[in-house]
Amino acid sequence: MSNTYYGEFGGQFVSESLMNTLAELEKAFDEAIKDPKFIADYNYYLKEYVGRETPLYFAERLSEKYGTKIYLKREDLNHTGAHKINNVIGQILLAKRMGKTKVIAETGAGQHGVATATGAALFNMECTVYMGAEDIERQRLNVFRMEMLGAKVCPVTTGSSTLKDATNEAIRTWAERAEDTFYIIGSAVGPHPYPKMVKEFQKIISVEAKKQILEKEGRLPDVVTACVGGGSNSIGMFADFIDEPSVRLVGVEAGGLGVETGKHASAMALGKVGVLHGMKTYLLQDDNGNIELAHSISAGLDYPGVGPEHAYLRDTGRAEYVSVTDTEAMEALLELCKLEGIIPAIESAHALAYTFKMAKNMKKDDIIVVCLSGRGDKDVHTVEKYLNGEETNK
Amino acid sequence: MNRIEKRLEELKQENKKAFITYTTAGLPDLQTTAKLIFAQEEAGADILEIGVPFSDPVADGPVIQNASYQAIQKGTTLTKIFDMVEGVRKEKCEVPIVFMMYYNTVYHYGLDAFAARCIECGVDGLIIPDLPFEEQGELKAVLAKNEASPILIQLVSPVSKQRVPMLLENARGFVYCVSQMGVTGKGANFHKDIREYLAAVKQTSAIPVMVGFGIRTAKDIEPFEDIVDGAIVGSNLLRILEESNYSVDAVKEYVSGFKKELNENK
Repeated sequence: MSNTYYGEFGGQFVSESLMNTLAELEKAFDEAIKDPKFIADYNYYLKEYVGRETPLYFAERLSEKYGTKIYLKREDLNHTGAHKINNVIGQILLAKRMGKTKVIAETGAGQHGVATATGAALFNMECTVYMGAEDIERQRLNVFRMEMLGAKVCPVTTGSSTLKDATNEAIRTWAERAEDTFYIIGSAVGPHPYPKMVKEFQKIISVEAKKQILEKEGRLPDVVTACVGGGSNSIGMFADFIDEPSVRLVGVEAGGLGVETGKHASAMALGKVGVLHGMKTYLLQDDNGNIELAHSISAGLDYPGVGPEHAYLRDTGRAEYVSVTDTEAMEALLELCKLEGIIPAIESAHALAYTFKMAKNMKKDDIIVVCLSGRGDKDVHTVEKYLNGEETNK
Repeated sequence: MNRIEKRLEELKQENKKAFITYTTAGLPDLQTTAKLIFAQEEAGADILEIGVPFSDPVADGPVIQNASYQAIQKGTTLTKIFDMVEGVRKEKCEVPIVFMMYYNTVYHYGLDAFAARCIECGVDGLIIPDLPFEEQGELKAVLAKNEASPILIQLVSPVSKQRVPMLLENARGFVYCVSQMGVTGKGANFHKDIREYLAAVKQTSAIPVMVGFGIRTAKDIEPFEDIVDGAIVGSNLLRILEESNYSVDAVKEYVSGFKKELNENK
């Protein structure tokens, strides 16, 4: 039982009817990652289809301005525009191996939904994506993308009609149809073995980055940083550096309008430990133990919990977690556009914003590696509204 | 003796089947919930499940999801539900009461404080659908400190199969057999192997076996009523409540009718 946990976090808080499903999944996953054929297939699609490896780009003008070496791990250059596809390829290959013919997924901003719809098209699987009605309204373009790719987008109107409710609905459907249906979770959350699987399929980010920085600089970076919603790009970015004690790991949560306003998505800033979506972790919750709505300009970070391994890394002190506000993230986004000609996702801009803050206390030859988890094409409408001073989220 | 065990022992002596109902607390308010508890006790319900509303009820279908949402909007909290139960116990209500709730509500309240308050108020059992056997250790250890603690009811699903002996080994009260895959309130579309499944559980179980999820009328359980010891109704009762504007009489009629039919069939 203890191997389903990271310290006191994680576990398998699901209905009895899913316990055998999780056991089968864990067995299949453990076998698959030891099977050279499976790993070869995974690597083949990452190279030929996703376009890996992604560059580790030395951001010259940013480095000059902030007086320290800033490298960007360019996950934005992946097919579908973000790191999400790495995990989808891994999980969908596993689903096929297990003989499943259908996949389901939850999505907030739509990035994981688009990645899943893409993978489902590639591997000829029936795909249903659960998405909050509120998010469908905010992310029409991604809904259309998923539909073009042949997926069915199922609006969720219960609760707050956002990502957490879409996740609830995906879990309900999964409990009903696990026999032929594989649930592809996009973030480093959910019941064991999901957080472990997502880390396994995202660790390619840090495996590549480590090799690349050693080639370029001949040494490990001083700091590695990434944004944290549920925590998939960050756990991938941290994975291969966790056992390198000289490397400082910094996760950046969404501070929304400011943690002190209560309108934020920083589960670890004020969050209390609780149980949601199959795991025990830090959660935003009210005085009665009901889950509170997260708030962030970035739909991808708008989640009231965080992956259990992050909760563990925080408590053990191996990683530190901070937050930046909507405004700070938007300023960083615009700065990257102007100084480097890269439009980042608002999610990734959170990691950049904190990088700029950290840089002030760093020396010229110090090295920061930032995970640029996704590109900002999906966000231009939000940026426009932000610049016009319109409200960008509820 | 725990009220659940006492009641089920009486039914066994009388050779009768149990009728167990579920209602979400706080709809339309907690005074009404208290009234409904008395009304159902009078109408012959054997055990009452009281739903403690949670923001993210993943084991529930649309009817109970909506009820939970409404109840939370009306300010229903675990603390207030405890007070309500304490109140009905003071007024000599002796029907067994089981809380149906999600683990975060328990965890957030604090396990020791929760167990103590259950004992104080006279809560006899707990059904926590997102707390599978493997995760029950922490709560069981707390409940074990006092023999007046509520019983943690074990749920079994149609795909539990080889897990059943483990689930039932130390189970008390009754076994809650989920009739189908998925969530509550989806009608009588029972699992295709329902008879074999229930028979296997019944054979393993030393305690009464109840079936729930999707049951609306006593007729619904006819295909397997020879195997089980009782039926649980939730979503359908909530529907009746809503349609009758929470009429005590409508509920009494439904409960007594179901109970009667359940024990006439045989």
